Amino acid sequence: MNMIETNNLTKIYGNFTAVNGINLHIQKNRIYGFLGPNGAGKSTTMKLFLGLTQPTSGNFTIDNKTYPKERIQILKMIGCFIETPAFYGNLSGEENLEIIQKILGLPKQSVTDALELVGLTQFKKRLAKKYSLGMKQRLGLAGALLGHPPILILDEPTNGLDPVGIHEIRSLIRSLPKQFNCTVLVSSHLLSEVELMADDIGILNHGRLLFEGTMEQLKENAKANGLPTDNLEDTFLAMIDADNRKRGQVR
Amino acid sequence: MIFSLELKKLKRTGYMPAFLGGAVLAAAVPLLHMLVRSETFIVLPGEPLNILYDANWQMMTMLNILTIILCACIIYHTEYSDNGAQKMAVLPVCDNHIFGGKFMITVLALSGMLLFEIIILELCALHWFSDYQVQLTDLTKNFCFSLIASLPTIILMLLIASACQNMWVSLGIGVILVFTVSVFPKENLFLSLCPFNSPYQTLALVTEKGKEYIFLVTCIAETILLGIAAHKLEHVRRYFS
Repeated sequence: MNMIETNNLTKIYGNFTAVNGINLHIQKNRIYGFLGPNGAGKSTTMKLFLGLTQPTSGNFTIDNKTYPKERIQILKMIGCFIETPAFYGNLSGEENLEIIQKILGLPKQSVTDALELVGLTQFKKRLAKKYSLGMKQRLGLAGALLGHPPILILDEPTNGLDPVGIHEIRSLIRSLPKQFNCTVLVSSHLLSEVELMADDIGILNHGRLLFEGTMEQLKENAKANGLPTDNLEDTFLAMIDADNRKRGQVR
Repeated sequence: MIFSLELKKLKRTGYMPAFLGGAVLAAAVPLLHMLVRSETFIVLPGEPLNILYDANWQMMTMLNILTIILCACIIYHTEYSDNGAQKMAVLPVCDNHIFGGKFMITVLALSGMLLFEIIILELCALHWFSDYQVQLTDLTKNFCFSLIASLPTIILMLLIASACQNMWVSLGIGVILVFTVSVFPKENLFLSLCPFNSPYQTLALVTEKGKEYIFLVTCIAETILLGIAAHKLEHVRRYFS
């Protein structure tokens, strides 16, 4: 069963097409890795799902709910972390999470649990603006994980984390579908990381979806098209290069 | 709930001290005036409170409006400086409720400020005008009138602050509006109904012209219209972002 489904979803800014008629199928209780170079349209797609921007054409459903009609119901199901950590710098980490907890109507204990989960318990009283980049990233993740939402949308969640932090967060994301019956949509520039985390992947380039499927299907597809299959990074780069050549936009 | 959350967001922002500072400064105007030039005023004919209003209200109102501008900038700078607004946009809460919460907080803070200023005016009248007696009805009427007259200014300034992510832009627009509107003739009813100009009016002045009901109804209508504009702005922002 698909948790998120898009139908020719398109977003155009002026004369720039950020997302070009994509059809995504994100299955329930699986981790979907979103890959693509800078400006491919990954963040824009995620913003569309969250109602931060409106689609120019096409539509999408999240758990059979439609946007914009059921925007609030959709947002109740989603925990997210988009681009940069978003918080109130004048409040402590704990106070920031308390705001989300109250809006979502969760018990107070959920704040303690989320802080514990991302390893911020000892810094919970510190003002968020005084957090390091890694701590801000963890606070953003804690906000997304608060109350264990059925859908998680994470845009490059490991940015700014040290190798130990990256490993912790990766393990955490990996465990979410089994632990909390959670569907995760995660984007990352670290291709090796997506390979370790995701069950399914989608590759975007210039707003178009080049591939969607499992890791095995990607390898089969690459083999059939004469692309390298040794590791995901080589396959991904070759796929993007081939698409750019086809479009006459060699970089 | 949204009201208490909006209040919580204002922790450590200097919002309440700004209102308190504005109230003390504005209330100091009649006190200083009377301390320095009381003999000029006590010989004037008319109601003591009206004499005090005529002498001080323009300056007090300008300080009140500058405080509203400053606090509207603070309230939205808190939202935009660390992307807090983006987090709120992806939570199941209506954007209009957030704006409404901020409006209510500003109205309450200004109520406290106005009440403090009117009490100081009453105390000045009591102290310097020997035959003056405090009338609670007049005090309440003046307070309600000044508060309603300030509503369009509050909502317009919040609308400007919500539209500009850079605090200095909204602060600049607010200050330009204050000084632009201050040159408008106060006797012209149409111009006196404009936001940023309406708070300069006093109940005595408007009652004298017999236009108090038109004035109050127009101020409330302006507030409602600007509230609708704030609602539409959220849709436009989402469409173009």
